[in-house]
Amino acid sequence: MVLTSTFTPRNFREQSEKASHDATLRAVLDHATRYFMGKRGAALDAFADRDTHFARARAARLAALSRLPELLEELEQSAIAVGTQVHWAADAAEAREIITGIATDCGAKVVGKGKSMVTEEIALNPALEATGAEVWETDLGEFIVQLAGEPPSHIIAPCIHKSRADVAALFREKLGLADLSDSASIPELTLLARRALREKFLAADLGVTGVNMAVAGSGSVILVENEGNIRMSTTCPPVHVAVMSLEKVVATLEDAADILRVLPRSATGQKMSSYVSVLTGPRRASEPNVENDGARESHLVILDNGRSEVLADPVLREALLCFRCGACLNSCPVYQTIGGHAYGSVYSGPIGALLSSLLLPAEDTRDLPFGCTMCGACKKTCPLGIDHPKLMLRLRERVCAGKPQFIGAAHAFLATHPLAYRLAVGAARAVDPHLDLLPRLPGLPSGLASFVESRQPPGLKPPFSTQLRAGRKKQGGA
Amino acid sequence: MSRTRILATLRAGLAAAPLSVPEPPARPASLAVGPDAWALLAEVLAPLDVRLRLAQNPAEAATHVADIARERGAASYARWDEMPAGLDMDAALAGLTRLSPDCCQALAHVDLGLTFAQAALLDSGSLVLIAGPQRPRSVSLLPPTHVCLVQRSALLPDVSALPELLSSQRDPSGLLPSCLNLVTGPSSTADIELVLVRGVHGPGALDIVGLDWEL
Repeated sequence: MVLTSTFTPRNFREQSEKASHDATLRAVLDHATRYFMGKRGAALDAFADRDTHFARARAARLAALSRLPELLEELEQSAIAVGTQVHWAADAAEAREIITGIATDCGAKVVGKGKSMVTEEIALNPALEATGAEVWETDLGEFIVQLAGEPPSHIIAPCIHKSRADVAALFREKLGLADLSDSASIPELTLLARRALREKFLAADLGVTGVNMAVAGSGSVILVENEGNIRMSTTCPPVHVAVMSLEKVVATLEDAADILRVLPRSATGQKMSSYVSVLTGPRRASEPNVENDGARESHLVILDNGRSEVLADPVLREALLCFRCGACLNSCPVYQTIGGHAYGSVYSGPIGALLSSLLLPAEDTRDLPFGCTMCGACKKTCPLGIDHPKLMLRLRERVCAGKPQFIGAAHAFLATHPLAYRLAVGAARAVDPHLDLLPRLPGLPSGLASFVESRQPPGLKPPFSTQLRAGRKKQGGA
Repeated sequence: MSRTRILATLRAGLAAAPLSVPEPPARPASLAVGPDAWALLAEVLAPLDVRLRLAQNPAEAATHVADIARERGAASYARWDEMPAGLDMDAALAGLTRLSPDCCQALAHVDLGLTFAQAALLDSGSLVLIAGPQRPRSVSLLPPTHVCLVQRSALLPDVSALPELLSSQRDPSGLLPSCLNLVTGPSSTADIELVLVRGVHGPGALDIVGLDWEL
């Protein structure tokens, strides 16, 4: 499958259709989602008092939303008190302007980035590149998709759609490693990426990361990862910018600790991710007089980009509880079938369909809430108890402005009256067995036409009389 | 101004639809840190390919550290200046070149980094490293092998101990430490074909020496 960045949520239907016919993609998704669910399941089975921990994590997130404006103000004060510069960005453009401004001020020629969904959301890389800086994604998966010029396809594993041979071919071309064979092992490829990126880290003037949590009480930002690239991005370059979507704040370090019990287990089945950094301001004057051992200048960008509007909706604001463990993606039969790219935006899967619908222009995301079977696997999986299907329904209501269309009402009637349903289907089938004519019927509601057009009815059984005749022939021939 | 507008929208949203938060259940009791604590730690570290070696006295600790350096083929090391009392790590690693951790560029060529955990968490096998005047951050990050010393008194049940630990390390002006790292096993990735590889950006090898005596 050739991937380009031209995927958009507007084309969700066509992209899904195409993706679901891609056998290679289906095999990869099958393997990946099973892998993650297997690891997660084993970790959660062994997690003592799991439900209590989940409830505490949910409470910590809910408490944060319930006091969001106060906590953001408190975070700002605490962060300033520890020496972090705080910036507020209403939208993506403003965030880009702030961050490119910091890059220009510190004369950044090389920027090292830790994996972060939010910097994808605000399309930061092209803006930083426009300042003349080299920008490097340093998470292995993100590095690979960056070299390939593709968007990431999974919150946790951005390049699950690529094989080792794909990666070898990419490194051969983009890293100037002409001798690299297609049969290079995965540890070899990883080592090559380590070497290439190590140079970039050591040369980086600016590190940019997202934020898993920010603590209002202490002004700390908390970053969770496995590779060490985020530690590198916050340790080697002299300047660190943390970009935070505003709902990521929690009240206290205790709340953060409650969340840390749950997040790694739910994301990757680890008891704790390899590295968790709690950064409270820039490097202090009292710390060793070592060059490049912690940023001497730290910035926190608090990004809204549509989230503040969501807080007024008592149902939809549940989506702001999410801490991006990615478990709902892996459990979702739609995601398992179409993968991440088809959603056409940074966030994919159940939570992605919700977030994109809430954060992007309504006319671009009409179809997203309909890419859901209402099976509820996401709700069952979510450690924070987000009721995704309920939110999807709310969004569907919003799409049709609260008024059911005639066709919806008719279907609802038929679905609750079995006799009427059989009569209607029987009548349709008798007149038009392959449903060829129905969509072309003049005066038909457009909803029904599009419903019929997008479906292939199963073939009708041949009438009993022909079956009987065929059977006799067969017997006679034998 | 964006700040004012964002805060006003949030306040209006909450005023229109107040959000009440039910009282959460009490935090489950933490694991007890008893006589079997080292065994628990070793058990949780094993699947992470981390070996815990116990030392009953400084001489044994020195032997363990020297053994690790030899097994990992290290020719040079860097270490935190702050080490537990009574341990002479430079003597233990006398055959290796000691490099001063004075910049990332230099540390990137060091084979082994030696640190000293402020705590270790039994629930997850995490080491807690707090940066400070004698404790540069990159010693546990840049070299391919990280060796960490853990005292018996530093064993704590789980991550819920972090807030208190951080508070206890406030500097004279009352500020929390600028950087706390939880290190749980080696650096790892499964980004290519979901095959686990140890050692992407951080150390691929992590060795722990438990100091099992009263310090």
